[in-house]
Amino acid sequence: MHTVLTRGNAILAYTLSVSACLTFCCFLSTVFIDYRANATLNTVKVIVKNVPDYSASREKNDLGYLTFDLKTDFLHLTPLFNWNVKQLFLYLTAEYQTQNNEFNQVVVWDKIVLRGDNAALDFKNMNTKYYFWDDGKGLRGNKNITLTLSWNIIPNAGLLPSVSALGSHTFAFPSEYTTLRV
Amino acid sequence: MSAWMQYFKSIPTHMDYDGQARAEKLSRVIITLFGVVGLIWGYVIQQFSQTIYILGAGFVMAALITVPPWPMYRRKPLDWQKSQSEVTTKLKKKK
Repeated sequence: MHTVLTRGNAILAYTLSVSACLTFCCFLSTVFIDYRANATLNTVKVIVKNVPDYSASREKNDLGYLTFDLKTDFLHLTPLFNWNVKQLFLYLTAEYQTQNNEFNQVVVWDKIVLRGDNAALDFKNMNTKYYFWDDGKGLRGNKNITLTLSWNIIPNAGLLPSVSALGSHTFAFPSEYTTLRV
Repeated sequence: MSAWMQYFKSIPTHMDYDGQARAEKLSRVIITLFGVVGLIWGYVIQQFSQTIYILGAGFVMAALITVPPWPMYRRKPLDWQKSQSEVTTKLKKKK
C-alpha cells in the first residue's frame, strides 16, 4: 500500500471480489424460486401431408401442419422476471410415439421474451415456425400428439433452468393425407 | 526550469506506515458498504445492474479518498534517529 499503483491495484481487486460475492448473493436469492406457470394451448387446424423431404432424402415423409392458440397466464408469468432473469426462451414441443421410435420430440415454434416485454402472450391461430417432420410415416392417424410449452430462463448468474409449463394439449392427426396446398 | 523541478520534488508523495494501514482499512470499509447498500437496493427494485453501478460508485469514491497520498495519511511519521555525521566521517577515514 506504499504507492499509488499498489493502492489502486488493491482496491480494484477488492471491488472485483465484492462484485463476485454480490453476484453469488443474487444467485442465492433466486435459486429456490419455483418458475412453473400455466399455459393454455389449443390446436386450430391440423393436417398431415406426405411429401418428399429434400433436406434429408428424397423419400416421402410425413409432414404435419398445424396452427395453434397459445395463452400464457398473465398473473403468473410476469413475476418470472426477477433481478436474476434477463430473458425467457419459450419453445413449443410436440411429443409423440411412433413405430419407428419410442419417443419423438419436435420443436415447432419458439420465442424470446426479454425482460420488460409484455409477457402475457395471447396468440390466436399461430403458424408454426419450424417444419413438423416425422422421420417416417408416423404422423398420419396418430392419436396422441402432445404439445408442451417449455422455457429456458437466461439468468445474470447461476443455473440455466428449463421449465415446463403446467398444462399441455393433446391432439390427433387426421387419418387421411391432404394433397391440396394449404 | 530547475526551480520548477525543485518545487515538484518538494511535494511529499509518501504515506507513513500508519497512513497506509488506515488507507487500506478505509478503502475496504467504503467498498463493502457500497456493495451491501447496492445489494439491498438492487433487491428492492429487482435490478441487479443497479447493484453493480452502486458498487462502481463505491470504487470511484474509494479511489478518490485512498489512492492519492493525501496529507491525512502523513500524520504519524517515524522518529528517525538524527544522522550521525561524525561516525560516518570516521568510518570513511578508516577506509
